[in-house]
Amino acid sequence: MPRARGSGIIVALLAAASAPLVLMYVFLVIETVGEAPPGQLLPDGFTLENWRFLWEDLPGKANIWAVTLNTFIFASATTVIVLAVSSTAGYALSRINLPFRAYFLAGVLVLHAFPTVTLIIAIFLVLQMIGLYNTLTGVILVKASLELPLGIWIMKGFYDTVPWEIEMAGVQDGASRFTVWRRLILPQVTPGILALGVFSFLAGWSEFILPQVLAPDNKVQVLSVYLAGLIADDYDLNFALFKSIGLFYVIPVVILYLFFQDKLMNIYGGGTKG
Amino acid sequence: MRILIENFTKRFGADTVIDAMNLEVADGEMLALLGPSGCGKSTTLFAVCGLHVVDDGRILFGDEDVTGWSPQRRNVGVVFQSYALYPHMNVFDNVAFPLQVKREPGPAIRRRVSEITAMLEIEHLLERLPAHLSGGQQQRVALARALIRRPGVLLLDEPLANLDARLRLDMRSEIRRLQRETGITAILVTHDQVEAMSMCDRIAIMDRGHVHQIASPADMYRNPVSTFVAGFLGNPPIAFLSGRVRGGRFWLDGSTAGIDLPGGCEALEDGREIRLGVRPEHVRPADSGPLSGKVSFVETHGRENLYDVTLNGGQVLRSIQPVRGDIAPGQTVHCRLDTDKLLVFDREGTRL
Amino acid sequence: MTPGKWLGVLFLMPATLFVVVFFLSPVLLTAVFAFTSMSTATGVGEGGYLITPSTLHRLAERGMDRSTAESLGATTYLVNPETLSRARAAGVAAATLDELGQRHAGKSFDGRRGFERALKSLNNRPRSVRALKQAARHFETSVLNRTFGQREDLLAALAASGVRLSDEDRERLVDASYTGWTWTTDNLRRMFGTADTAQVLANTLIYVFVTLILFNTGFALVLAITTFYLPTTEAAVFRGIWFLPRITPPVLYVLLWKWFAWDTGFLSTVLGWFGVASRNWMLDTAFNAWVFVVLINGFVGASMGMIIFSSAIRAIPEPLFWASEVDGASRWQQVRRIILPQLRWPILFVTSYQTLSLLTSFEYILLATDGGPGSTTEVWSLAAYHTALNNYAGNLQYGYGAALALVLVIIGVVLSLLYLRIFNFDALVARPRIET
Repeated sequence: MPRARGSGIIVALLAAASAPLVLMYVFLVIETVGEAPPGQLLPDGFTLENWRFLWEDLPGKANIWAVTLNTFIFASATTVIVLAVSSTAGYALSRINLPFRAYFLAGVLVLHAFPTVTLIIAIFLVLQMIGLYNTLTGVILVKASLELPLGIWIMKGFYDTVPWEIEMAGVQDGASRFTVWRRLILPQVTPGILALGVFSFLAGWSEFILPQVLAPDNKVQVLSVYLAGLIADDYDLNFALFKSIGLFYVIPVVILYLFFQDKLMNIYGGGTKG
Repeated sequence: MRILIENFTKRFGADTVIDAMNLEVADGEMLALLGPSGCGKSTTLFAVCGLHVVDDGRILFGDEDVTGWSPQRRNVGVVFQSYALYPHMNVFDNVAFPLQVKREPGPAIRRRVSEITAMLEIEHLLERLPAHLSGGQQQRVALARALIRRPGVLLLDEPLANLDARLRLDMRSEIRRLQRETGITAILVTHDQVEAMSMCDRIAIMDRGHVHQIASPADMYRNPVSTFVAGFLGNPPIAFLSGRVRGGRFWLDGSTAGIDLPGGCEALEDGREIRLGVRPEHVRPADSGPLSGKVSFVETHGRENLYDVTLNGGQVLRSIQPVRGDIAPGQTVHCRLDTDKLLVFDREGTRL
Repeated sequence: MTPGKWLGVLFLMPATLFVVVFFLSPVLLTAVFAFTSMSTATGVGEGGYLITPSTLHRLAERGMDRSTAESLGATTYLVNPETLSRARAAGVAAATLDELGQRHAGKSFDGRRGFERALKSLNNRPRSVRALKQAARHFETSVLNRTFGQREDLLAALAASGVRLSDEDRERLVDASYTGWTWTTDNLRRMFGTADTAQVLANTLIYVFVTLILFNTGFALVLAITTFYLPTTEAAVFRGIWFLPRITPPVLYVLLWKWFAWDTGFLSTVLGWFGVASRNWMLDTAFNAWVFVVLINGFVGASMGMIIFSSAIRAIPEPLFWASEVDGASRWQQVRRIILPQLRWPILFVTSYQTLSLLTSFEYILLATDGGPGSTTEVWSLAAYHTALNNYAGNLQYGYGAALALVLVIIGVVLSLLYLRIFNFDALVARPRIET
């Protein structure tokens, strides 16, 4: 219900509050290709100097493409695990008459609110003990497991909206529960799978703490750890270089976000991520 | 195939919703499970499907005890109230699905689908998705899907509830035609007495987990075993008058009018409280008669009019009459009853 | 069990496995590790037994007989089947060894010289001085600087060394030489006993409540209400801007803030035009550091409240607003009388949820100030991280870090159990309608 009266003031106030954000994101783009002398904000020349990291390894750093590949493997493997496990477990919890079902649900609900970063120390020690420290496999398994309660919860919610009659009709038509799930129910929850998939991918792509602690090695480094390491190492901060890498890093996020905006809003708004 | 339900008991937690129910549906018969919502008719249907576990008793198809059988093994065709068509499959795939999961060869499936869709007159819709079908078409697809496996039993769960009034009439006769043609044993679950009476060979009327009466529609209408059954069948509904027996006649509470009781009831002892069931078609206005009252409401049905008569003493009688202009609301009228059609019940509602 | 139920069990199996191994077991293990002395020095696996000169030194200070300590530290030369076969395996001439075995079996020599003399006096003595010294090496036995896998191995070596030890001394020596971790309650005592803890606790409370009140609830409300009154396009623009931080990877997001605040960054440049000396606005004073910590977390945190509040406001029936406008209510009155009362539950939800998440998250602070300057912005979860996983001293104290994390884990468990009550749990466990 738009009400035009007095909205000029509101716009001005909101604009003032949002100014730092807008500036940061505008300069994120400008500075990567602009040449500005010290003490001046706006560039007076165009350069690709800052993008050299794409074809030249930075001294002492891993190859950017290898790191990007790691990040992609990390994010997509996490997504695949989360999707596969949540879409089966969510179905079982939503639809199958199992003993202890209520306890499983309560467990999932509690865990999905549980702050997972507090577990990082114990997880670090566990990975050391089972020999998965400094491997992508280890950090993928951990990330996927920590995302699972949320994923199961979301998928259960989507399954809950599929009419029972479809399921009953399938069973009466002689199909096993597995066939019913695979051929009749799963196609009804594709929007959920898509939303959860995009969400998990973004969560994996952006994750910093887990790979930083569990897989910091150059060979298994992901983009967040790579960039953070670069920033932490350098006393004379080369913001233009960092931002170029940052922009390179954020492009997939922006693309996915633009395509799946509404679906993502639902998951982020579901009270799931701090 | 005959269906036999023996001592069927169903509990949800501590609630016993159905207690030792018995029911037999003869081979090729169509039986209606009629009752208000929550009476246990759908629970019974789900038990016959195999979707619900039977807590006690057994269910037989023919001579085979199927109580422990999975729904898949029972070979029962079901049409749900919402039709439950698979939204992502076109009509062909919907109808073919039961055969596909049985891994029948493609040509056989295609032959069978065209056979059954021709029978239901939907062969021109095979490529459409359910969302692009009208309610009646969806209904036919659901029927085709239920029948394609040649099930031994067909179960219909409120199949007409989602259709508009005109289509409902068409589908009523359509479903009955199909059932007759295929000779399949069918159970229809409904809360609509018109549906039950017009479509089925027999009706089992249920309330709170009990079967009150099983009879043919005409028989049940004429000889209901209780006020519940009498009140459930018939539209406009039956009216009940309370009063006492004195001298072999019925005396209305709060009135001095005496009414003759139908044959077989004259022997009731004096002073006994009874309820008299009077169907609207058995009440005629007359110049004089034992009952008199004021016309409190007139409802026009087109060919007939329905009159509510508030008797002296406050009880209400209904009468249905061919349209006539001489009775208006507020007018005082006398009523005459068809004595031998009256239904006599005791105070608890059991037929005497 | 029907096939349907088996499918259910099968479908739940992977989830259960993942969650138990990487989620539930860390919850329990945090509690277990909190009662150990695990650190980089002890390692996480089973430890060994190692006597070093400093072990002996420590024990001597604690009252072990000095001469015992010295003789433990000394090297002795033993002739027994074991050392003989060791030398044989290393290729020392068989004749030499045979003779040595006959003449000196079971003997022990205190010094290298004595043993070398004994070797020289053999008929089949090693040919060269070098060969002699090499042969001698195989008979060295010292308990010093040797790692024993098992307690029994160390005891055997001690017995073989010929050093006399009282039972009490032996026990003390064995315990002191253990290099693995041990069970202890020191972590808890230390946590409750140091002034650092109080400082970190105070930091945590400031960080959580200031961020929460100003941004995660406060500014989120402002955003939701103001954008509700704006035309659709403007509203969408502002909501979009404030949603950006949430989808930006944290490393990049904090980088942008660093650029904004650094001495070569935006603030310094702009203020430089007005003659203000350039400096690192984020880290120059404790107060500034706090401002940025709150801003950085707040700008991310506002979006969740914004989304939840916005949808709650949209759910208010429009006739309520029309009626109040007909009644001549001002917009402020509308907000107070209609919107805020409707938002009571969402506000409670967002506040409790974000309390928990702010309490336990340290990612943004780690990337921005890393607890600095000094440790002025060190919050509880970051302290746990620094203690156990990353600090300049290099000795990572897993046990103590786990104890710090345990506090947060307990709070997390308690608060998330509370959610069970806030959510309407019964509605979620509706009976499956297919029972088989």
